[in-house]
Formats: sequence, structure tokens, C-alpha cells
Amino acid sequence: MSEIEDQGWQDFREQCRRQMQRPMENRIRFGFCRLYKPVLDDAPWRAFETMSEYRAWCSANLPAYLGFRPAPK
Amino acid sequence: MNRPTFRPEQARIIAEAFAAHGVDYLFIGKSGAILLGFPALTQDVDVFVARSPANGRRIVAALRASGFEVDSELEQAIIAGKDFVQIKTGPFDVDLVFAPDGIASFAGAKARALEIDGFRIANLRDIIASKRSSGREKDLLDLEYLERFREEYEKLHSPALRSAADIAAERSRPLGSQDPKS
Repeated sequence: MSEIEDQGWQDFREQCRRQMQRPMENRIRFGFCRLYKPVLDDAPWRAFETMSEYRAWCSANLPAYLGFRPAPK
Repeated sequence: MNRPTFRPEQARIIAEAFAAHGVDYLFIGKSGAILLGFPALTQDVDVFVARSPANGRRIVAALRASGFEVDSELEQAIIAGKDFVQIKTGPFDVDLVFAPDGIASFAGAKARALEIDGFRIANLRDIIASKRSSGREKDLLDLEYLERFREEYEKLHSPALRSAADIAAERSRPLGSQDPKS
């Protein structure tokens, strides 16, 4: 990432620097939101014995557009 | 499913309740990065918690004190330390992660962690290592942003952070050889 980056990434770095100057309370206040995720949010709780069991459940049950499936290699 | 009112100060509520009950924990995932200043949004709070029955009982007490409904089956899952427990029965969503991808042990992560304003937060390099190891589409999309955020973070906060993977790589290099990244 030492090469010259495009303007979008330079703007993002500026945004990072500004955000790090903001107090913790603002990071919290504007960093957490509620966004309904189908299937995932439709049970009060779930527990998985292993992370691979959890990953398999996500792949089998969640809509692809949520991004919980393994990325193509 | 009826859910209680959303409260944006959720990270503070968890940090205070976990501290009051002596829970051994670290914020990880995007929520941990946001607390460090990563400019992003997330829905839930991800916490890496030490796996022991005693810590599990403390987690249950802290969640109940924060307004979560914890029935006996959920209580048993937490005390047993199942790898991943997702909870949506409170004022916000919490993911308890007892064995995050890419982080070998809680003790090691705790030794590298940061404490800021009462929040115990995993080292940013560990957060990135965990996202990279998960291999999920959404995590891999975050990585380019997180790596650039880490570079900016480490310019402001020296010395540079080290993850478990960095330490293992250093140990595996012959004596006197240079870090290829430096």
C-alpha cells in the first residue's frame, strides 16, 4: 500500500484520522445501529459447539447477499 | 420477535456490566475496531470471552443485569463455553465468541489487548487476523479498509501493534534476518 493510492483511499485515510480524534462517546453513538438481517435475527439466541459448525449453518441458512458465506478462493 | 428498544450506547453498557461482574473479555470484530476509531457502522457487539465455567457464570450475571433474558438453556450454553453464542434477547445484539478464528488463545490476546476509557479491546492486528481467517465475504470486504485504518492508527499510536501471527512469524525466521514487511 506504499504506492500512490486513488483519491477514494486518501479520503478514507483522512476520515480515519478524523474519527480517531473524536471522543469515545461519539464513536459509540454513531458507530452502532440496528439493521434487521433476515433469518439471522429471527431467533432469540443460537449457540454452536464449534466455529466451523457456525460457518456451515450460515452458509446453509442465510441469504447470500448478507455476505456470511465463504468468499470464493 | 419482540425486541427491546435499541440503545446506541450498547458497548458502554456491556463494558460496565462486564467490569462490574469481573468478566474476562475483549471487544473484537468490527465493534472493537469502531471503538478504536474505525469509521464504520455495526449492528452487534462482538466479545471474545475467556472460556471457563466461572467466567461463564459471570457473563450470565452481567447480561441479566444489562436487561438480557437468559433462560436456563442459554445459561448452560454460556457456562459450557460453546465456541459461538449469538444473543438477541436484550436491548441490543451480542455475539459471545469463545474461540475466534485466527486467534490462538484468550490469554495471548489479552496480553496484547488495549484498555481505553474502560473498554478492553483486542489488538487491532488480532481483529484483522480474525477477520482474515474467517474467510467470509463480508469480512474480506472489510479487510482493505481495516488494513488502511491500522496503518493510520499505528502512525498515531507507536510502537506498532503485533498480532499472534506476527509473533509466530518472528519466531520462525532465522536469527538476524529482517522482517520482509519492514
